[in-house]
Amino acid sequence: MASVTLENVTRMYGAITAVDHVNLKIKSGEFVTLLGPSGCGKTTTLRMVAGLEKNTGGRISIGDNVVSDADKGYFVPSERRRLGMVFQSYAIWPHMTVFDNVAYPLRIRRRPDKEIQDRVMNALRLVEMEQYAERPSPALSGGQQQRVAIARALVFEPEVLLLDEPLSNLDARLRTQMGDEFRQLQQRLKITALYVTHDQSEAMALSDRVVVMHGGKILQVGAPEDIYRRPENRQVAAFFGTPNLLDAKVRDCRPNGGQYYKLDVEGQGWSGECHAASEMPKGADVTVMVRPENLQIRETGTVNGGLSWSGEISQAIFRGPHRSIMVKTPAQTLHVETPSLADVGIGRPVTVAAPSDAAWAVRN
Amino acid sequence: MTIIHNRSLDDINDTTPVLGGNAITRAFSGGSLTRLIGMLLLILILGFLTIYPLSMLLYGSLHSTPPGMAGEFNLNGYRSIMTTQNLIVLVNTVGISLAKTIPSLTIAVFLAWIVARTDTPFRGTLEVLITLPFFIPPILTAMAWGMLANPQVGVINMAWRWLTGAQDPLINIYSYGGVIWHMCQYSIPFLFLFMVDAFRAMDPSLEESSRMCGASRWTTFRKITLLLMLPVLTSSFMLSFIKGIETFESALFFGLPAGIKVITTDIYEAINHRATPDYQYATSLSFAIMGLMFLLVIAQWAILRGKSFQTVTGKGFRPNVMELGPWRWVTFAVCVLFFLVTVVLPVGQLLLGSFFRFFGFYTYDMLTLEHYRAVFSNSEFWRAVRNTMMLGLLGATATMALGAVVAYISVRTKWRGRSLIDGMAWLPWMMPGMVLGVGFLWAFAMLPGPIPIYGTIWALLLAYIALGTPVAVRVMTGSYHQLSYDLEECSRVHGASWLQTLWRILVALAWPAFAVGWVLTFFGIMRELSASILLYSVGSETLAVVLLKLWANGNAEQVSVIGLMMMLLVILFRWVQLRFIKARISKL
Ligand SMILES: Nc1ncnc2c1ncn2[C@@H]1O[C@H](COP(=O)(O)OP(=O)(O)OP(=O)(O)O)[C@@H](O)[C@H]1O
Ligand SMILES: [Mg+2]
Repeated sequence: MASVTLENVTRMYGAITAVDHVNLKIKSGEFVTLLGPSGCGKTTTLRMVAGLEKNTGGRISIGDNVVSDADKGYFVPSERRRLGMVFQSYAIWPHMTVFDNVAYPLRIRRRPDKEIQDRVMNALRLVEMEQYAERPSPALSGGQQQRVAIARALVFEPEVLLLDEPLSNLDARLRTQMGDEFRQLQQRLKITALYVTHDQSEAMALSDRVVVMHGGKILQVGAPEDIYRRPENRQVAAFFGTPNLLDAKVRDCRPNGGQYYKLDVEGQGWSGECHAASEMPKGADVTVMVRPENLQIRETGTVNGGLSWSGEISQAIFRGPHRSIMVKTPAQTLHVETPSLADVGIGRPVTVAAPSDAAWAVRN
Repeated sequence: MTIIHNRSLDDINDTTPVLGGNAITRAFSGGSLTRLIGMLLLILILGFLTIYPLSMLLYGSLHSTPPGMAGEFNLNGYRSIMTTQNLIVLVNTVGISLAKTIPSLTIAVFLAWIVARTDTPFRGTLEVLITLPFFIPPILTAMAWGMLANPQVGVINMAWRWLTGAQDPLINIYSYGGVIWHMCQYSIPFLFLFMVDAFRAMDPSLEESSRMCGASRWTTFRKITLLLMLPVLTSSFMLSFIKGIETFESALFFGLPAGIKVITTDIYEAINHRATPDYQYATSLSFAIMGLMFLLVIAQWAILRGKSFQTVTGKGFRPNVMELGPWRWVTFAVCVLFFLVTVVLPVGQLLLGSFFRFFGFYTYDMLTLEHYRAVFSNSEFWRAVRNTMMLGLLGATATMALGAVVAYISVRTKWRGRSLIDGMAWLPWMMPGMVLGVGFLWAFAMLPGPIPIYGTIWALLLAYIALGTPVAVRVMTGSYHQLSYDLEECSRVHGASWLQTLWRILVALAWPAFAVGWVLTFFGIMRELSASILLYSVGSETLAVVLLKLWANGNAEQVSVIGLMMMLLVILFRWVQLRFIKARISKL
């Protein structure tokens, strides 16, 4: 398995910049996900790595080899990049059986029949499809087609595995199951994988690192937990879930001994402590992000440490696993998620509190 | 002290990536040189097949003498076609085409509705039967109807006189009505083929929601179904109208004897029936009709532009089928009647004609097999069979190969020059066979001496390829459009080269369409008369030409025998097509 390096990779369609100076290094055996809203350039990036699209700027390397260098006019066509790819539509060839589909990459490379037989059956066993080998491929369900597509992508032991929203055609339950199975497989075989999705939870659950993209640019690269809990800017913060974003001013800033800085912030009618990635001058405008699941509802009263707001409950929605509660405070309405067991009374005055390590500030 | 994963590539220089291969493999990594040569070759071939005869047509229309002779350039040709007589010819041509298109479209819509949207019994079989006439060479049915409805000795009129004791014939096929009737026999199945899938593919929820809004079945049909079908209907109408203007056989057989002239027969007469063939007149007329066709095609394009067929191209649902109750036997009878009149009657006449000594005298003592013997011992017949088969096999293969390549380049690649290729391949679309024939007449005559195409069988082959290319491109374009790009790209990523992908994925998936197109082209060649009649010479006659010559000599009996042989061939090919190719398509 090989690493993948993108240096200043750019793709223009006429005047539109679909991908804008993307820099990314994927380590060998790493699972990296490209995540972002529709049209942000994920597919284009993936296709440039695959060699299905030429980058108009920058350089792409797989392992130690440059595969595309726009400035030097150098371009290695897809078929010589030794990749495996799973398409969103699966692209299972309808005129072949399951076996033939999976055997294709080997047959193209003129492997001996014995080896083809062994490796195809191994690949099919890996995805638990060996009993379907002789099926004509149109006679497969979506989930089975997806497994065949994965087996086909893995059979040649490619340098890198590319996947473009492979789970988006499946229903919710199957999506989770296939995702988890695929992650296990990836870790067992130590495959380098570049994965495209617009599903946040899928990206979190599967990846070693997530690349958040927007408008052709990378906003942030990091481990799922970092991206979720410690976003670099407001856009990334707003991208995941429905966080509470509060405007505030910095009153004090000091190192907290660990990796982060501890801030004292003050907003409209509230104040408290939170964390930030870098040092901030006093009086700076910041956005404080608090996720609904980290907020707690207490009886009115003072809270020590962390952050707190006082207000009254304006709305409560039962959602099954949890309850969404809107608390109206002088600053803004806060979204709080509580266990659905607890009962709430609309109009009741409450205090909303959050520990300081659950609140994260970014510069505006 | 930053904790967020760094976006700059600080470790990018761990290992310095290297460029693989050498300068030469790098320069050709796009395969640009071979591609350039291939494109040039293709442009050359298409240019020879379409642009060259077209420009020769213009050249010939300005040239005072027949092809290959010294002469001067003048406008006499165009002057000579500007006559009141030709105005009548033009009015005839347009009028006849309109007169056959309107009833044909009505009947075809009705038949398509019966087959696609009602519970009429045996719809699958009916569909095959209704479309069969389209595949029979028009010259066959023209001759059969010439015998059936001949005012003096036609079976229909004899039966009528015998039944009623009347003196006058019931129908005279040598009339406007005869010409139109014969054209309708081809327009109806053609339009049916063109529309039936649109009827079938219509999303029933569009109609159902109209019913839910309180509209009756009939209102729904008028306000929803018909309006949704309007784009298909319009394009069918235009297509059928254009084809009507190009038609040759009907007017040749039933128009000329009655003094009814249309443009194609006028061109034919100027070259074949005048004491001294007037090439300049014929060529000028050909060029003028092409102008007319060009306007029509532009009109078609303008009318259909922006009309979307989206609503009727969904799949995955069953169209709602109307339950007709006892009426379903009436609709069944309508379809069967259509088949009887357009196929059984003419084929029956051919059978009848082939077994009696003289056409028109059907008594027991006149029964004979001598016509079969005469035909089978006639070396000219066997030569024509050989020629037709060879032209058909070679022509259909070459046409489809060309069409497949052109369609591939224009649909699947972004190569420069692809629209030029597409446009050139489409040009013959507005050239009726007769016009293309005249163009090639000039084109071959003007070739430098050492290229001996003029007067050989290759002349016919090239003309057939040119005539068939637009349809071949269309068929292949449609089939490529249905294959998602992913299927090809997936193959590339998994190690197959462009050529390997073409062969193992695209060809493997598109061959059923190729085969359908092949059979269509083969039928087209077998029935072709208007270009053949201009370009054949002794030794390179096709079956259609031999038939026409025999007919002109009054040998209706041997015509019947040869006609039956061709009919057998048609049924055989159609059966193969339905049995093997359709089955293969539906499996995908
Ligand atoms: N062939 C093309 N020509 C012009 N613009 C294109 C082309 N392909 C993509 N684009 C544009 O490039 C941008 C990025 O497209 P891309 O397909 O990479 O988005 P994506 O992130 O994969 O979105 P989605 O989640 O919807 O698949 C879009 O704005 C799109 O309109
Ligand atoms: Mg995409």
